[in-house]
Amino acid sequence: MAGKVKGCLRACFGKRGLLLVVLFAGFSFTPPVWAGSTPPAQRIVLPNELVVLVCEEHSLPLVVFQLLVDAGSRLDPVGKEGLANLTAHGLLLGTSTQNVAAINEALDFMGASLNSSAGRDFSVVGLQVLKKDLEKGFAFLMDTLTSPVFPEDEIRKETRKILGSIQSSDEQPMALAEKTFRKTLFPQSPYGQPVEGTRESVTKLSREDALQFYRSFYHPHGAILAIVGDITAEEVRTKLIPSLAKWPGANTSPAPFNATHAKGPQLITVNRQITQANIVLGNIGVRRDAPDYYSLSVMNYILGGGGFGSRLMEEIRVKKGLAYSVASFFDAEKYQGSFQVVMQTKNSSARDAIALARREMELIQKESVSEEELRRAKAYLVGSFRLRLDTQSKLASFLTQVAYYGLGLDYPEKYPLLINAVKSEDVLRVGKEHLHPEATILVVVGNLKEAQMEPPSTSR
Amino acid sequence: MIARLRCIWLLVCVSILVATQSLAGLADQVVEKTFQNGLKVILLENHKAPVVTFQVWYRVGSRNEQWGKTGLSHMLEHMMFKGSKRYSAQEFTKIIAENGGNDNAFTSEDFTAYFENIGSDKVHVLIDIEADRMHNLVLKDEDFKTERMVVLEERRMRTEDDPQGYLVEQLQAVAFQTSPYHWPTIGWKEDIERFTLADLKTYYDVYYNPVNAFIVVVGDFRREDLLSRIEKAFAAIPGGSAPDQKKDVDQPQTGERRVYVKREAELPYLVMAYHVPNLRSPDGYVLEVIAALLSSGKSSRLYRSLIQEKQLALSVDADNSLLSRDPNLFTLSAQPLAEDNAAEVEKTLDEEIERLLKEPVGDKELEKAKNQLEAAFVFGQASFFYQGMLLAQHEIALDWRAVDDYIPSIRKVTPEDIIRVARLYFTEDNRSVGRLVPLPPQEGKPAPKEMPASGRVIR
Repeated sequence: MAGKVKGCLRACFGKRGLLLVVLFAGFSFTPPVWAGSTPPAQRIVLPNELVVLVCEEHSLPLVVFQLLVDAGSRLDPVGKEGLANLTAHGLLLGTSTQNVAAINEALDFMGASLNSSAGRDFSVVGLQVLKKDLEKGFAFLMDTLTSPVFPEDEIRKETRKILGSIQSSDEQPMALAEKTFRKTLFPQSPYGQPVEGTRESVTKLSREDALQFYRSFYHPHGAILAIVGDITAEEVRTKLIPSLAKWPGANTSPAPFNATHAKGPQLITVNRQITQANIVLGNIGVRRDAPDYYSLSVMNYILGGGGFGSRLMEEIRVKKGLAYSVASFFDAEKYQGSFQVVMQTKNSSARDAIALARREMELIQKESVSEEELRRAKAYLVGSFRLRLDTQSKLASFLTQVAYYGLGLDYPEKYPLLINAVKSEDVLRVGKEHLHPEATILVVVGNLKEAQMEPPSTSR
Repeated sequence: MIARLRCIWLLVCVSILVATQSLAGLADQVVEKTFQNGLKVILLENHKAPVVTFQVWYRVGSRNEQWGKTGLSHMLEHMMFKGSKRYSAQEFTKIIAENGGNDNAFTSEDFTAYFENIGSDKVHVLIDIEADRMHNLVLKDEDFKTERMVVLEERRMRTEDDPQGYLVEQLQAVAFQTSPYHWPTIGWKEDIERFTLADLKTYYDVYYNPVNAFIVVVGDFRREDLLSRIEKAFAAIPGGSAPDQKKDVDQPQTGERRVYVKREAELPYLVMAYHVPNLRSPDGYVLEVIAALLSSGKSSRLYRSLIQEKQLALSVDADNSLLSRDPNLFTLSAQPLAEDNAAEVEKTLDEEIERLLKEPVGDKELEKAKNQLEAAFVFGQASFFYQGMLLAQHEIALDWRAVDDYIPSIRKVTPEDIIRVARLYFTEDNRSVGRLVPLPPQEGKPAPKEMPASGRVIR
C-alpha cells in the first residue's frame, strides 16, 4: 500500500553487515524468564541432515520460511564470480514441471513472496505466505529448491539483468567505494569479489555452470530451515516434513578457501564529478567465531557502531558537522571479514574527516574507555536485542544464522553474559590488536581535485 | 525477538492473542483520547512482543513552508535532538541508549515524526523527554550552524550526488507549481544556507503545539497505565492555537510537461507522474489496485513486459500516493538498461496505460491484485512500527479510523472502475515526464563550479 514515506530519516548509520545487526545484541537485561531447560525453538534434524527450527507465533495468519543453504559466493570458482548469485536466482526461473511465468502467476495470486539470493557465506531461499495458503506456498518452495531446470533463455535474461544491476550500482559512489575496498583488502580471496560478480565474469556464466553449482552445493547437508509463524510443530511434522525428508541427502566435502588478505597503508581513489567524497577506511577483521568477537562488539559500539552515542558520530558529525552519516563495523563471517569506517563528507572536508577517524581509532587503542562508557555500551547491546528480533522475518533469519555459525540455541541466554564479561582492559587490548590506523586501506570516491587527493601517487 | 519471548517463554499470552488480534478491524482495537490542550493519543495494544513503539507526530512538513525558507521542517527535526529545558542532547541520547532503545525521526511533505522503539518495561523513560521537547526546545546558534552543515551533507548525499534523486526533485518542481509539493522536503540548497535560528524559533512556536500533534503508541503495554503516564507528562503543556493548514493546490494541468536532467550516470531513468486524488476520493483506492496490476510481483503487467519479455529495463515501479494530505502524484518509473532503450521503455509504458483505458481487466487478474494488496497489508502488521505508521499516516491524511476502509475499499473495485479512473487521470495533458540522460564519467576532469544550468528548471 502507499505507506512509503518520501522523507528524510535523520540518521542513517551507514551500512551495517547483516550479521552485526542480527547477532551483535543479546536478549533483555532483565533476567530471562526462560531458565535454559527449554529450547527457544524446536529443533528437528531429518535423516537427510536438514536442520529444521520451528517457532510458533500465532499473532498473525502468516508463516515465514527461511532456508539457508551453504552455497554462498565464497564458493565461486575463480573467473566465475557471481555464479552462486546466478544459481540462487536461477532456482526461481523454472522447474521440471512449471515454467517461470506459471510460478510467478501462482505466487502472486496468493500474495505470497518467494525470494532467493546469495550472500558471501551462504544463500537463502525465503518464503512468506498467508496461513491459508501454507501448503500451496510450501510446495513452490520445495519445487524450486529440488527441481530447478535453469532454462537456457531464462538464464540468459537473468544474466543480462545482473549485468544491468552491476552497472547501476557503479553509479552509487558509496557502493563503488565499498566494492573497491573489498577488492583491495582481499585481492586473492572470494571475499574480495562482489557477490553479484563482475561485468567480465558474469558475461561468461552459462546454464551449465549454474546447474553444476546447484548439483555441488544445494544439499540438505549443512542446510538450515527456520519456520516461524502461525503454524504448530504438529503441522510441521505432518504437512511439511514428509516432503522435506525427500530432499536427497549427499555428502559434500568442505571446499578450500583462500583466506589471504592485503595490508595497508594503501590509498585507492576514484574520480567522480560529485559533491561528496565517499570514504571507506579499514583493515582486516575477524571470523565470527573469534574469541574476541564480544569485546570487539563493545569496542566498536563505543568507537562508531553506536549511532549518536558513538565517538566517531560525536566528533565528526555532532561537533564538526562534517558528515550526515559515519559509522564503523566489523563484518565477522565464516572466515576473517573486514573492519570498516564508512562516511561521506563534502570533497573539501575529506582529509579532515579521515584524520579525525584515524585519531579516534588511535585514541581507543591508547586510552582505556571510562567505566561509564563501558557500562552504557553493554546496557545498549544487551538491552536492544529484542528490538532486532521483533518480527517473524527477523526471527527466522536470526534462527538460521545462530545455527549456521554454531552459536547454539541457548545463544540468547549466553549473550548477555558474554557482553557483560567484557572489561575495559579487553576493549583496550582488542583495539590495539584489531585496529590499524597507521596501516589502513583507504578508498575515496569523489572529486579528487576538490578533495586535494589527485594522483600522481594514486591508481585507477 | 520478541515473538520468540512470547511464544516460548510466556505461552499464556499467545493464546489470548489469537483471540484478540484479528485483522477484521484494526481500528476496533484502538483507543483514542484527546486532552484539554488538544493533544490526541492513539493507543493500540499488541502483546505479541515485549516491545513498544512510541511515536510523536507533528502536522508539519515541507507543505507548511514558504518560498525562500524551504527545508525548515526538516532542519527543525534535526534541532529537536539538540536538547530541551530539562534534558541536554547528551542526556537524551544516553537515556534512550542505555535503556536499549532505538530512536530516530523523519520528515515528509506532510508531517514530522519522532519515535523510539524500546522494551516495554522501559517505555516510561522517554515520555518526559518527548513532552519536554514538545514545548521547551532549546535552540542555540552554535548547534544550528553545525547541524546546518550536517543537513547540507545530507542533501549532497540524497540529491546532488544521486542522479535519480535529482531527477525526482526536478520532476516534482515541474509537476507542482503553486502547491508547496513543488519543493523538496529537504529544501533547496540556497534556502538551507539562508534560513536563520529566528526562523526556526518562529516555526517551532507555530507548529510544535499539542493541538498540532498526536501520539501513537503500539505494542506491549496496559492502556490505563500508559495513558495516565502520558497524561501526566503531556496534558499540562499549554495548548496553543491550531495553525492554518489550508494550502494552495495546483489548477488542473493543461498539457504535458517534460524535464530532462543530463549528468554523470550509468543508466537512464524515466519517471511519469500523473496528478491524482488521495484517500478522500474513492478513486484513490482504485488507483491502489491499478498500481498493483502494473507493478506488484513478477507477474505484474510492467514487470512482464519491460523486464521479462522485452528486457528493456532493469526495474520498474508504479506508486500511488493514497495517504498524501493534499492530492499528489501517481508515478510510473523505470530504469532502462541502456540510453538507446529509453524511448522504447516510454512507449511501452504508454501502451500499458492505453491498455488500462481500453481493455477491462479480467476477473482473475483483478482478484490477484486484490489478494496481493490484502496479503501485503497482513504482512505489514508484523511490525509494531509499521502499524503505528499506518495509523498515523491515515490520521495525517484524514483520520486513523480510515485504516479499516482500506481492505473493503480495495475489495469493492470493479473492472469498470479501473477503466473510468484510468481515463480520468491517465491523460497526456495531466502528466509530467522526467528523463535522466546519463553522461559518461569524466575521469580526471575538474568539476564545473555549479551544476549545469539545464538541470534546474523551475524554482
